Amino acid sequence: MSILDYVPEDKTPLPPKNAEVLTTCCDYCIVACGYKVYRWPASAKDGGPKASQNAFGVDFPAGPMQAWVAPTQHNVVMHNGKPHKVVIVPDKNSKVVNIGGDSSIRGGTIAEKCYNPKKPTRDRLMSPMIRINGTLQPVSWDTALDVAAELIRHTVKEHGANAYGMKTFSYQFVENTYALSKFSKGDINTANFTFHDTPADVTSTPGFRDAGFDNFGPSYRDWGDAEVLMICGTDPYETKTMIFNQFIKPAIDQGQKTIWLNVRETAGLAYAKSRGNALFIQVDPGTDVPVLGAIARVILENGWEDSDWIKKWVNNKWESSSGFGQGTRNTPWQWRTTWGKFQTKGVDDYKKWNLAQKEYDPKEAARIANIPVEQIYQAAEWMAKPKADGSRPKTSLAIEKGFYWSNNTGNTNAVSSLATICGAGGRPGQVVGRFGGHQRGGTGGAGLPRNKSPQKRPGRRRQAMDCDRYFYSGLTRFAHVVGTTWIQAMCGAQGLNNKFEELVTNNPNQVRSSNKQAIIDTLKKRMDSGGTVVLNQDIYLRDPIGSKFADIVLPAATWGEEDFVRANGERRIRLYSKFYDAPGDAKPDWWIVSQIAQRMGFDGYDWKNSNEVCEESSRFSRGNRKAYHMIKVAAHKEGKTLHEKLREMGTEGIQGPTFYNYKTGELMGSVRLHDTEMTPEMMEAQGRTQGANMVNKKMTHFNSQTGKVNIQKHPWSLFSDYWEWMSPKKDELWHTNGRINEIWQSGFDDVDRRAYIAQRWPENWTEIHPDDAAARGIESGDKILLYTDRVPVFRQTIKGVHGSDFNFAELLKNGWIELNKAAVEAVAIVTPHVKKGTMYSYFLNTSQPSNVLQGRVPDQISGNYNFKMGVSRVKKIGESKYKHEFTHMSFAPRNVV
Amino acid sequence: MSDTKKKDETAADHGRCMLNRRQFLMYSGTTAVAASTISISLFPGEAQAKARVVTYPRMKVARLSELKDNQPVDFNYPDDGPNSQCFVVKMDGAKAGGGVGSQRDVVAFSYLCTHQGGPMNGKYQAVGEHRVLGQCPLHLSTYDLTRHGIIVSGQAYQSIPQVLLEVDGDDIYAVGIMGLLFGRNENLMDA
Repeated sequence: MSILDYVPEDKTPLPPKNAEVLTTCCDYCIVACGYKVYRWPASAKDGGPKASQNAFGVDFPAGPMQAWVAPTQHNVVMHNGKPHKVVIVPDKNSKVVNIGGDSSIRGGTIAEKCYNPKKPTRDRLMSPMIRINGTLQPVSWDTALDVAAELIRHTVKEHGANAYGMKTFSYQFVENTYALSKFSKGDINTANFTFHDTPADVTSTPGFRDAGFDNFGPSYRDWGDAEVLMICGTDPYETKTMIFNQFIKPAIDQGQKTIWLNVRETAGLAYAKSRGNALFIQVDPGTDVPVLGAIARVILENGWEDSDWIKKWVNNKWESSSGFGQGTRNTPWQWRTTWGKFQTKGVDDYKKWNLAQKEYDPKEAARIANIPVEQIYQAAEWMAKPKADGSRPKTSLAIEKGFYWSNNTGNTNAVSSLATICGAGGRPGQVVGRFGGHQRGGTGGAGLPRNKSPQKRPGRRRQAMDCDRYFYSGLTRFAHVVGTTWIQAMCGAQGLNNKFEELVTNNPNQVRSSNKQAIIDTLKKRMDSGGTVVLNQDIYLRDPIGSKFADIVLPAATWGEEDFVRANGERRIRLYSKFYDAPGDAKPDWWIVSQIAQRMGFDGYDWKNSNEVCEESSRFSRGNRKAYHMIKVAAHKEGKTLHEKLREMGTEGIQGPTFYNYKTGELMGSVRLHDTEMTPEMMEAQGRTQGANMVNKKMTHFNSQTGKVNIQKHPWSLFSDYWEWMSPKKDELWHTNGRINEIWQSGFDDVDRRAYIAQRWPENWTEIHPDDAAARGIESGDKILLYTDRVPVFRQTIKGVHGSDFNFAELLKNGWIELNKAAVEAVAIVTPHVKKGTMYSYFLNTSQPSNVLQGRVPDQISGNYNFKMGVSRVKKIGESKYKHEFTHMSFAPRNVV
Repeated sequence: MSDTKKKDETAADHGRCMLNRRQFLMYSGTTAVAASTISISLFPGEAQAKARVVTYPRMKVARLSELKDNQPVDFNYPDDGPNSQCFVVKMDGAKAGGGVGSQRDVVAFSYLCTHQGGPMNGKYQAVGEHRVLGQCPLHLSTYDLTRHGIIVSGQAYQSIPQVLLEVDGDDIYAVGIMGLLFGRNENLMDA
């Protein structure tokens, strides 16, 4: 990359008194801190250090927590064609989320994200391009769009709608996701559609869905209001910093007990331990189910469950069996329970089942998870044992990807059941949910036509298509890739790369002429001969999807370059203001899609601006957790647009679902979902039920057939054959991966284009325990090779007939699993903060993707990948240059307090 | 000696690191104060580099012979105004980028976290072979003092500012700062 070494600066501009101020939110993690953009013409004078001379009204030097501008918080951008300076800093007036203007290292340096031809962002895509004679060459928008539209039309006509595949971000603003899904799932009507982080368009948390828990029901304050907080598969300090800094850390300081299920110890966890009220259950990868099941058993055996709450809010035998009125076995919940593997007749039945399973004996669970058995008893006592006065501890449970991408279905089932018996679900400080990954920017313009998927499991329902497997099978003739690397982001990534090479690069039909018709004819021939054409919309040319494989590249406009709307992990909806001109000819994704759609003759794409897209999309949000339809209703009553109304609400925004009181004209948000202390009568009294307001059970009840929670079984046997097969053999170690605070999941900005972050994390890295390292002669800073010939890969799209056809052991026996070899280099970090026997790598270094090592066998129930499960051998292959220098990286442990 | 030499950073890397330091010294002359030319003894045995320091004051902060291992000595720099709290420390033989003294283990840094100005007095720590500053009591940022104060883990927007040191006999002088002190819009402000 075109990275300069980081050179520390010792001065920074201050915004002048008369700088324009716009509000936005951070573009990165789920928390979405509120930010202010100060903008003034580059020709105007900067602000001065006296309060009367700058826009903050603060005398410099500023004190702790006061306004300040770090050298990484300013940039120069074009606004209305003229250069302007911008300072982008957390909103010091913020009363929510990043209260008082706190920020992470990621958002804190977001000013560096802006396009600036003098900075490392200079390589933004600025013109549509078509690959001619092997080289991407700039073409006009008209040419690129005509070619794309004609090829898609041809694919659908000649090879069927499923031959057109869309792989897209799920999160990059409601305007874009609405347009993309309306086009692909609606007008094209393809089942070959999925998001950036999964091979199939399915729920991330099947257990939550079946229990009736929304992923994002809680408010952030609930995490702090809990007296006992169980955190599974993440350190929120590292990956959603403000939830920790603003809500959990203050609670820990006041005595909140935290229980952590994790393979490694980082700063937030270390801090919690240092305060003396944390329990760190350092499990082996994939062993959460036995541990949670055993904790549940201890609670139930002691009679510590929340009986009163359970009586009122958990389904009994008859309620469990009742349908939705949609016909039997025709619901997500019921089709999964076809084999009776999950469904119970209520808590007593669950208890009976739990007690009958040997793996939920605490001793056996501790053996499997490789943890001290006392921790199971300790956790049970903290979470559920009534206090001396008979009152119950307020317990909440939060999960994230280290947990639900290890054993997707089993883990989310188990945590749901544990939450249920603890009475967590719908009360202040007593909640269960995800902390979150990306922000919530998805609005579905159409549903997935699942019945067109060729995949089918034993039972009656079709399964959402595994788009990777479909692509592997050579059935995707036109791949429309939007804002994702696709290849490196998926498990067993090496095979996917090879397949792209075969279907795209090695097909003899390559464009040799810049004549539009010749381009179209050549690429049609490629698709007709069994090859694939790739269209890539993105902000940078990504390797290899854009640089090597794309036939057509379309430049997208992004954060700050268009007015956009999105929600965060507590459903808080805000406007992300446009504050500068998109570079070159870059256009927002909704515009690009609308142009292709109109050329294909589809109606309903003649939007003039992003507000029009947002206003059209709002009705599709009705009934959702982030329903923003009533913001539009309120806006129109006041003679405003939806975007204008949201702009008035600044960084505070409003928590979805939104409601409008037609009598008082008040626009109302919702603090939490499944609020069991709220009643339908209260909803009515608050004016939340009239007119276009949409009331459904998620406000006052749970998302189940009865509005009560389904307590489910969580059979270890659905996963244990995979886990046992994968468990390290001989000199293998577990290999898992995840994020790191300083990079998180936006490597295209962080490591590729921020000198400071690139200096901290210049290459792929792997953490290894000192004992494992010593046995292999590895030291911090050594260059290591992680290599394995045991990457299990599910080969083809199949239909299941018998109940166990999709069990890993059966797949293996029947020849559906092939074993691939893979290897990846990394810089070793020898540290006691990762568990002995387990290595931990950064999850997505695009040039050295650790995902090549992870098993490409989707969760048999949900269709998600269990990204965290892999094994590898490791050896030293030399020394990295970072071992003995003082500029890059750091090998200091992350758990120093 | 030869063992240390072999494990040292390459000449090129070393040069680049030092180049930054020299460049920095050259760059920092934007607001006019006294200009002087000084000799910086970068590391023992190296040719002395001439750098034109046009702004930062040259200030004696400690004596090598009086520094005790892992015990920071506090001083204010570059002035006695707000946000000038710094420390110099001998890191018990842990060689560091920008380190002075025979073991290159004497370094100086600002005490103020570059995230939100949290005071990290008392937060110098020797952990095995590592030397860190942190966790910051406000939001837990931690810095690696052997690597020019780069962030180990945390939320700060830049490294902890390093005070450039120069040795003259037994005396240690502060001669400049790499990075912006928290709360200032420039390091050298009119009091």
